[in-house]
Amino acid sequence: MKRISLSDRILHSGFHPRVLVTSSEAWTSADVSGARSIGPLRELLTCESVALFLSNPCKMALSLIALDGAVNRLLLLSPSMPREVLHSLLERCRPSAILSDSALSVQAESSHFLWPDKARKSESARYDDSCASKQDTTWILSTSGTTGAPKLVEHSLASLSRTVRDERGCRNRLVWGQMFELSRFAGVQVFLQGVLGGGGLILPDEQSRLAEQISVLAANGCGALSASPTMWRKILMLEESCALELQQVTLGGEIADAAVLEALSHRFPAARIVHVYASTETGVGFSVRDGLAGFPRDYLNTTHHGARLRIVDGRLFVHIQSEPSRFENGFRLNDEEGFVDTGDLVELVGDRYYFRGRANGAINVGGNKLYPEEVERILLSDERVSLARVFARASPITGQLVVAEIVSPSQKKRSDLAAELMSLCRDRLQRWQVPAVIRVVDEIQVNAGGKVQRAQS
Amino acid sequence: MALTVRQTIIATVEDVVLQTSPGAKVKLEESTVLLESGLDSLAFAVLVARLEDDLGYDPFSLSDTPFYPVTFGEFVRFYEENQPK
Repeated sequence: MKRISLSDRILHSGFHPRVLVTSSEAWTSADVSGARSIGPLRELLTCESVALFLSNPCKMALSLIALDGAVNRLLLLSPSMPREVLHSLLERCRPSAILSDSALSVQAESSHFLWPDKARKSESARYDDSCASKQDTTWILSTSGTTGAPKLVEHSLASLSRTVRDERGCRNRLVWGQMFELSRFAGVQVFLQGVLGGGGLILPDEQSRLAEQISVLAANGCGALSASPTMWRKILMLEESCALELQQVTLGGEIADAAVLEALSHRFPAARIVHVYASTETGVGFSVRDGLAGFPRDYLNTTHHGARLRIVDGRLFVHIQSEPSRFENGFRLNDEEGFVDTGDLVELVGDRYYFRGRANGAINVGGNKLYPEEVERILLSDERVSLARVFARASPITGQLVVAEIVSPSQKKRSDLAAELMSLCRDRLQRWQVPAVIRVVDEIQVNAGGKVQRAQS
Repeated sequence: MALTVRQTIIATVEDVVLQTSPGAKVKLEESTVLLESGLDSLAFAVLVARLEDDLGYDPFSLSDTPFYPVTFGEFVRFYEENQPK
């Protein structure tokens, strides 16, 4: 069966004036179909496997469009990956070529291609079909991984675009904004929805501040945006977000609590709010569209987007029926019936399951276990708390203690605010769950995936 | 005027008791034995963590010889004597 490459699919979607939009220019579908003619990309078309290590989102997008269907394997690497991790991954995968936009020292077997200047539309925007769709390219994505080396997960264009909604027939096509890194699963989902769904994709400059990125999105008519709950909390703190007229708000990657869902529905009253449960390993599991945290109990009895759910010992297991993803050596990490342990803990309250935290993120205070996400949820329920980060601190007496950092727009004296929040925690949490220290800070950092990191301090 | 180590410890103990064991009767005099003071291990752990933040040092990790203060007086002296210069 002839495989249809990404480039073909864009071309056959009909003319679109703004498939990719950056802060300085717009690329039409014709411009984008000419990606294979762009200098550095043209040279890579005959490679067996290509690793992409690019900071610039527009170049990353063009590379994916040009190389899908032309090469056998594409390895998508996060530009924020530390060099030692990068080199060990390259050692494992041994791609025939690596494309980067900054200098790298690379092992001899892989050819290094440097693409330092801005992506320029090919003057001969003629569609080069000499290697049209000759391969069903394997896309290899890396997970961020909490311990040791990142895991590599294989996908295909088919498995990655399984949940893309085709809006070409709709009068009101949504223009998507790219907030996630394009090398990550969530970023690829948004990218494919943007370029295949009919609305186009806005790619803010990764080096600009969040406020500027939001302004670029608003100026270009962004109607749909996907980000982690922590990124959404940061966006809600920005005045620039008031200029966004969103009709679709998607959350993913972390627990979406009631507080952030409510805040989003107030800021974006016209928006449909969806939280997506997905992982790099399993792909998209399910989505929740009722505006409430967690998911309905009856999700266990039905199939969603081809995914089945099961709960064992409070842990969520997911089974994707079509196109199961494989780990790089071709073996799957799942149980006898094909269910993958997501490592997420859930709790049934009434008719709903709520997420309680990552199983491997437990904090142990004198033998009492708790999950930092629970404490964050309590802190975030106070309207003065915009962002919260709860993590473990070593204690010579109890092994670990809970500590919290929060960001607040409140003008109140920090020590008073901290004391009040401490009181809130005492009312709502068990004694050992109450943070030993609550610090009001200026900022909370997120990792490359837009998520709060809770490594023990 | 900056608080002395002793004053900081006393203020922090009061705070920690309020935070972890409100209503507990905690009396701290020179000769009070810590294990009988009304502070349990969690409260004690919180106290040591808070003092590390407020004073900037944790004598338990700084001192070479393992020393376990028995009375409140010894506890305070332990902090005073191990204050980094």
